Amino acid sequence: MNWRNAFFASLLVVPLIWLLAQGFGRDPRAVPSVLENRPAPSFKLVDVKGTPLSLDELRGRPIVMNFWSTWCEPCKEEHALLQQAAKFYEGRVQFLGVVYQDSDEAVRSYLGRHSSTYPQLLDPEARVAIDYGVSGVPESFFIDPQGTLRVKHVGVLSFDVLRTHLDAMLKSGSKS
Amino acid sequence: MNSVLGQSLIVLALVAAAFGATAGWVTGNRPSPRALLMLRGATYVFGSALIFANVIMVLALVGHDFSVKYVSQVGSRSTPLYITIVSLWSALEGSILFWGLILGVFAIIFARSLKDKFATHAPYALATVLSVGLFFAFLLAGPSDPFAAVSPVPPDGPGPNPLLQNHLLMIVHPPMLYFGYVGMILPFAVAVAALMRGELSDGWLKVLRRTTLIAWGFLTVGIIMGAWWAYEVLGWGGYWAWDPVENASFLPWLAATAYLHSTIVHERRRMLKAWTLSLVIGAFLLTILGTFMTRSGVFNSVHSFTQSMIGPLFLVFLTVLIIFSIMLLVGRAHLLVAENRIEAIISRETAFLLNNVVLTIFTFTVLLGTVFPLLAEAVRGVKLSVGEPYFNRMAVPLGMLLVVLMGVGPLLPWGKPNLRIVWRAFVAPLALGVLVTIGLAAAGMRDWRPLVTFGACGFAAGTSLREMLLPFVLRWGEDVGALLAVASAQRRRLGAHLVHLGIVVVVAGVCGSSFKHTADLSLAPNETATLAGYSIRLQGVSERNEAHRQVVVATLVIDRDGKHVADATPSLNYYRTQREPVGSPSVQTSGLNDLYFSLMSFEPDGSRVAIKAFVVPLVSWLWWSLPVFVLGTLVALWPRRRIAGVRLGAARTEGVVLS
Repeated sequence: MNWRNAFFASLLVVPLIWLLAQGFGRDPRAVPSVLENRPAPSFKLVDVKGTPLSLDELRGRPIVMNFWSTWCEPCKEEHALLQQAAKFYEGRVQFLGVVYQDSDEAVRSYLGRHSSTYPQLLDPEARVAIDYGVSGVPESFFIDPQGTLRVKHVGVLSFDVLRTHLDAMLKSGSKS
Repeated sequence: MNSVLGQSLIVLALVAAAFGATAGWVTGNRPSPRALLMLRGATYVFGSALIFANVIMVLALVGHDFSVKYVSQVGSRSTPLYITIVSLWSALEGSILFWGLILGVFAIIFARSLKDKFATHAPYALATVLSVGLFFAFLLAGPSDPFAAVSPVPPDGPGPNPLLQNHLLMIVHPPMLYFGYVGMILPFAVAVAALMRGELSDGWLKVLRRTTLIAWGFLTVGIIMGAWWAYEVLGWGGYWAWDPVENASFLPWLAATAYLHSTIVHERRRMLKAWTLSLVIGAFLLTILGTFMTRSGVFNSVHSFTQSMIGPLFLVFLTVLIIFSIMLLVGRAHLLVAENRIEAIISRETAFLLNNVVLTIFTFTVLLGTVFPLLAEAVRGVKLSVGEPYFNRMAVPLGMLLVVLMGVGPLLPWGKPNLRIVWRAFVAPLALGVLVTIGLAAAGMRDWRPLVTFGACGFAAGTSLREMLLPFVLRWGEDVGALLAVASAQRRRLGAHLVHLGIVVVVAGVCGSSFKHTADLSLAPNETATLAGYSIRLQGVSERNEAHRQVVVATLVIDRDGKHVADATPSLNYYRTQREPVGSPSVQTSGLNDLYFSLMSFEPDGSRVAIKAFVVPLVSWLWWSLPVFVLGTLVALWPRRRIAGVRLGAARTEGVVLS
């Protein structure tokens, strides 16, 4: 290999290294939700107790909408955290559970054993799940007080993630 | 306790590597027996420290010592023992530690085998190994410390990734690949030593070839086993998806394969030297690139680990290695001048050169496809993936060209052949190729693509059989000892052509399996569906609980022409810690076809299941190639003395040295 070849080799190598360095800080798996920063799809559902509830009634407060089901083990782990968070943010943030592809009996029996402090909505034909582009459970959506969908979170939430998103929405909400 | 012990051992390895590497680079140009002794000592300390660090980690895993960070990440009390041991390499930090284990073992064996015969080259070679070792020891000491102490100590851990708990191949496949990856350090070290010293002696070239062959053999086995694992576990009826990490193992394999051919020309005709050295160095650099791809989290793949500090560090390391390699090759360009020229267009040399070119193009094609998603995102901000169509469109013609070259190359003589005689060698192999094509056409195959592929395979196999048998045919009728002596003298050629036969088997398997039949079935109990002549009946759905998972099994009864062929039991496994269930497909080989079923979903009351069914022709040939590759590599590697010793045992005891 002489200097000329070395030059050609560098022509190849330098862009390659540059390219690989570009990959840092990006999550190759993150598929941006097309819904983010758009009005959250509205819905009218009935909760497990039979009370109807629509998204429009809940405007004015940030909303955490959590899709879950009883056949999903991680959802059950998430359940306790969500209950605690709902208590922590009581009066400031509205939490909502939406049951994803599950039978009513299973949900009622589960909620009988593990109570919920916030409304648990039934989505019998998964219409709302389809509107929100849910691909699996658990998935959570953060909707700001104006009704704009801000963040879609795939997988189990942690308290840190919850707090980061909610505090951001609460702060911008108090300014406007 | 385990934390402290493990961390101390890593620091010891770090110090030994730093000391040895410094000593090696300083004394490389004026080797002295004392310096070499010190260097070898440092290598032994480095290797032993890493081996013991791994022992400590395994003990911590088995003892469920959750105060060790890595154990708290992958350990779980409900995981079976052998999976607990295997989880040593199931996540980022552990896999780097395991990497260190293999490097330690290789370094010790290498230092031992470099007896005083190679005293001139040994310091630079060991210094290179230890320099690479220094980087890995540094990773283990700080940025990806598996032994970090966890406080408070958790009572239990999540267990390893469920995909790794599903199949025995997972125990064998990663170590094989790691042996291949880490093994490439040795030829790199040998090449660096040769270039630093400015001496490419025949003996040292032999060390270069043998170390590469060892790494190449492991890499080959690792890649095929990986494909096999993907096939048996992932449930999509395929075995190779051009996933970035699959490509990462394929790239160095291509470069090393090119090297193994190029070196023949180098040794025999003193040509293609720059090619040979660049290829072997390139193979090593590609293993580091591959490691970067797997560990940086930059690529989307079934294998990738999450993003961490490791990524940038690896990239810096890779950059340093590339700059060093280019400088070295440029600085020693005068050593790499060809001493002969190609005398005729139709000659063995041209075939080898063409082989180098095709394999290099292949390497760049795969590399381009792998990094293209990054390019698209960096330049246009779009996320895209380069799928199988691109790779297959490029790989199929290049692969076909290589199969044809495998048939043509060995039949061409060196130098300036007499074309009037050359064609005679082609008669038998070509006849075999034509015979295969005609036979398959007569059996009803009409598609020209498999006809051409199998014909080319027949031709290449004919060439290899001819080359393997010819030396024996020429001495037929002599006693067994004489034939063994021929085998011993020809072992490199025998090994090479065995490997060629293995490649033919793989190509046939790839071609056959690309004509698979697929169906999405929805079955109620006792309902029957048909696919490619097989009738598939759902017998029932059952459920069972295991310690770490819940398993739902569908039982299928497969018949053909009214005769019972097999029972298949694909299942879905629900792990306590996973969001989605992980399937276990059922795979059954019956003659030429594989029957492959994946359970996709089921009604909770068992009234209906969704099954993905595949009938895959010839796919098992891919796995049958494994023993052929292993045998071929072993034959080529076998030291001369031992085989010759069978016949000449008496002579050897009298002190005749055969080498």
